Amino acid sequence: MKRLTLLLISSVFITAAVCAAYGQTKMPQVKFRDRTLPNGLRVLSVIDKSSPTVTINVWYHVGSKDDPDHRSGFAHLFEHIMFKSTKNMKAEMMDRLTEDVGGNNNATTQDDATIYYETIPANYLETLLWAEAERLASLTVDDENFKSERAVVEEEFRQSILAPPNGRFFYAMDVRSWNAHPYKRPGIGSIEDLDAATVDDVIKFHNTYYRPDNATLIVVGDFDQKQLDTWVDKYFASIAKPNLPLPRVNVTEPARTGEKRFMEYAPNVPLKGVALTFLAPSSKSDDAAALRMASVILSQGRSSRLYQSLVYQQQLAASANAGADLREDAGMFTFTSFAANGKKPEDVEAALRAEIKKLQDAPVSAAELEKAKNQIVTGQLRQRETSLGKSNALGRAAVLLGDPNRVNTELDRLQSVTAADIQRVAQKYLTDNNRYVIYYLPESERPKTSGRNTLTDAAKGGASR
Amino acid sequence: MRNKAANWILAILVLALCAMSSVAQTAQATPPPPTAPHLTVFPKPVEKNLPNGLRVIVIPRTEMPLVTAQLLIKSGGEVDPTDLSGAADMTASLLTRGTSTKSATQIAEAIEALGGTLNAGAGWDVSTITTGVMAPRIGSALEIMADVARNPNFKDEEIERLRRQTLGGLRSALATPGSIARFVAARVVYRDSPYGHLLGGTPESLPRIKREDIVKIHSMYYRPDNAILVIGGDITPANGFELAQKYFGDWQNPPNALPKLQITTPDSTASGRRILVIDQPAAGQTAVLAVRTAINRGNPDYFRGIVANAILSGYSGRLNWEIRVKRGLSYGAGSSLDTRRSAGSFMASAQTKNVSGAEVASLTLAEISKLATGELLDSELSTRKASLLGGFARSMETTGGVVGQFGSLAMYGVPLDEINSYIASVQAIKAADVKSFAASRLNADSTSVVIVGNAKDFLPDLQKRFSNVEVISVADLDLNSAGLKKTVSKN
Repeated sequence: MKRLTLLLISSVFITAAVCAAYGQTKMPQVKFRDRTLPNGLRVLSVIDKSSPTVTINVWYHVGSKDDPDHRSGFAHLFEHIMFKSTKNMKAEMMDRLTEDVGGNNNATTQDDATIYYETIPANYLETLLWAEAERLASLTVDDENFKSERAVVEEEFRQSILAPPNGRFFYAMDVRSWNAHPYKRPGIGSIEDLDAATVDDVIKFHNTYYRPDNATLIVVGDFDQKQLDTWVDKYFASIAKPNLPLPRVNVTEPARTGEKRFMEYAPNVPLKGVALTFLAPSSKSDDAAALRMASVILSQGRSSRLYQSLVYQQQLAASANAGADLREDAGMFTFTSFAANGKKPEDVEAALRAEIKKLQDAPVSAAELEKAKNQIVTGQLRQRETSLGKSNALGRAAVLLGDPNRVNTELDRLQSVTAADIQRVAQKYLTDNNRYVIYYLPESERPKTSGRNTLTDAAKGGASR
Repeated sequence: MRNKAANWILAILVLALCAMSSVAQTAQATPPPPTAPHLTVFPKPVEKNLPNGLRVIVIPRTEMPLVTAQLLIKSGGEVDPTDLSGAADMTASLLTRGTSTKSATQIAEAIEALGGTLNAGAGWDVSTITTGVMAPRIGSALEIMADVARNPNFKDEEIERLRRQTLGGLRSALATPGSIARFVAARVVYRDSPYGHLLGGTPESLPRIKREDIVKIHSMYYRPDNAILVIGGDITPANGFELAQKYFGDWQNPPNALPKLQITTPDSTASGRRILVIDQPAAGQTAVLAVRTAINRGNPDYFRGIVANAILSGYSGRLNWEIRVKRGLSYGAGSSLDTRRSAGSFMASAQTKNVSGAEVASLTLAEISKLATGELLDSELSTRKASLLGGFARSMETTGGVVGQFGSLAMYGVPLDEINSYIASVQAIKAADVKSFAASRLNADSTSVVIVGNAKDFLPDLQKRFSNVEVISVADLDLNSAGLKKTVSKN
């Protein structure tokens, strides 16, 4: 049913003030149009004629946390299959329509969402809208393509986890940090679970999650609004909204009740690793901005606290980072550091904990706060230099933060964080009882008495959902 | 991520139209054809030389209130004295770690208080200092940049700190199959010439570098007549020139002449070809490289070369198509043409499970060989050109990208107007040009192979495919010379 008048009722033009000023710098606002088709597909569009291109971003609200039981890594494997065939497209035709005309495409599977995107010459917009509608409505998959792409994903696993000396350390972080939530299974999965996946799993996953009411289509670039609306109606409006319920992960990660410590051993560890993780709130929480500001003050740049203390002055660490890894359902505030050659992980841990205590005991200085805010504004400007960066920011606001306007208001939240807010969240979340500690050590240091490393076993299989 | 080096488009559309227009008929079953192309305009640089010889290039772009500035010194790792690999990179890295008036920490605090970044390092043929800030703060950022370029104090304490950090980073790199393979490949291609050593130094060379070596590199090469300042973003040329004059105008050239460096690299030959295995038993995957000499940046065959490379590289390039898409043997395979001032090389690369190392090596060489001897249809040529041009255009979407592109042209003495003739130069390349380039410059029989991984999984297979396979244990690897093997004195 394509009824333009009805469609227009649900569409809104956002006309915010053109710019908000930060210091002497004006942050250009993202002026987007927001409409929802009767089948539930949300369409956000931003006209930007700075280059003769268009970026299409399709967000599906399904991610690695939705991997089926005993299929860790499946949402990501599925993402690869979306570049294979559809009813009217041969395998790899997406590349013909993008790369072959000077565009590009890619996709990323996150914990909470899967995002497909392409940037193309502006005159190919209609072509690619057709192609995106194809893979939403009529994905097809054959066994040969499936197995070949699964082998590619297994090479991706080896390239990101097994080949780099620190791959297994970062792999261990989710596995060890989460107790109940499916975030505990790394998005890349395990070779065993990937091998167990079948074509039937692909079809079932597509039927369950790839539906217009679980998708957000974002178009940023050089286009005509009316023409875009017409094309979106033409290719997407007839895709039916299924009657099946849309399953959602509904697991609350329980509060931690005391420190846990994990020792991971790997065959190829040139520099020993230390991670501290603290259960933190969701990205939607009111504390999110203060936690993010804390991570910037702790570790962005060489004047940051962790670099100055651990790397520069004490020379205990080769690197030291803090991150506010806040996801849709819950988050993790993390510290990761690699000991300098010959330095002990115990000393690195003690130094990290001393920095945490400092953050809890006294407010950050006005100069540190101002610096962090300037760094965040500059980072956001950089992200939004490209149409892909703009569309990512808009998609994150709409799909993960639940309101596309957050693309423009997020910076205000960050700018309003006070030194007291940072001290408060440090006291609230970075506590002894909320701390897990992971050491990453060479295999040669494994005590003879200890059992096999069960990291891979812990990563695969089911998660209580 | 599904992978691949992303790249970007535009006026390529003319040929893209040809590729597409025959398809679309019925609305739903076939893709709708493109509409009329939109035109692209590349940013326009404005330049002038200061009286001291400093070349200043300003590229205005007003979309975002950001400015990126880069000071390029036209000398890099190739000036490292023999046995002091890493000296030029240490020199550049130390610039931001202390000047006559500011400590390392004060420099970091000053630039980061602006919300900005300041990075320095050496590449091949060039050393750079780069800063990126919000547009209204570019004056303050350039003041800091000028101070670190002109007045570094190279304190012993900072030299030791950087040396330890660099050695730590090297420990990680030397445990990573892909990094080891690239280090080895440089020695295989450039042998003992200045391009053959490790840019960042080796575990043996780094401890040998003294403060006086660093001071010497700085005084010999960091001078206005060997430098280019490129400023891009939300700034007018007048403002850019004024700031350049203010902070770099009184920078003096030393009385001595700039040293001239001649680097000669013998072309790869079939008789000199190496099939080299670095055995790393702990490797979780095998890195496979095929490598040989190619052309320098000033070579008239430059456009033939980059189009030939584009046939092989990219997501739908022949290497990734054969190795990843058709066979599932890798997450990604590709190639690059590295064109330096005095020489250049071609390198194809992929990572695969240990047992597939030999198969991927054969597939890689086969594709290189086919480029010279096999068929190249215009349809394939035109789509690969589109991909190449798209990547070129996308590289200029950001102020950092624009500064990088113009800086690279300027440092090699290529007219900046090449940006505007780039599309036409690529489009002019014919299939016969690609094949002749491949035959003369990318001969597979004189292309060496470097494989780093757990050798027991692929060595028997490799020995069936190639004669003269050399095997060096990673524990015996010596990156300080082209022999690559430690000469162990047994006692």
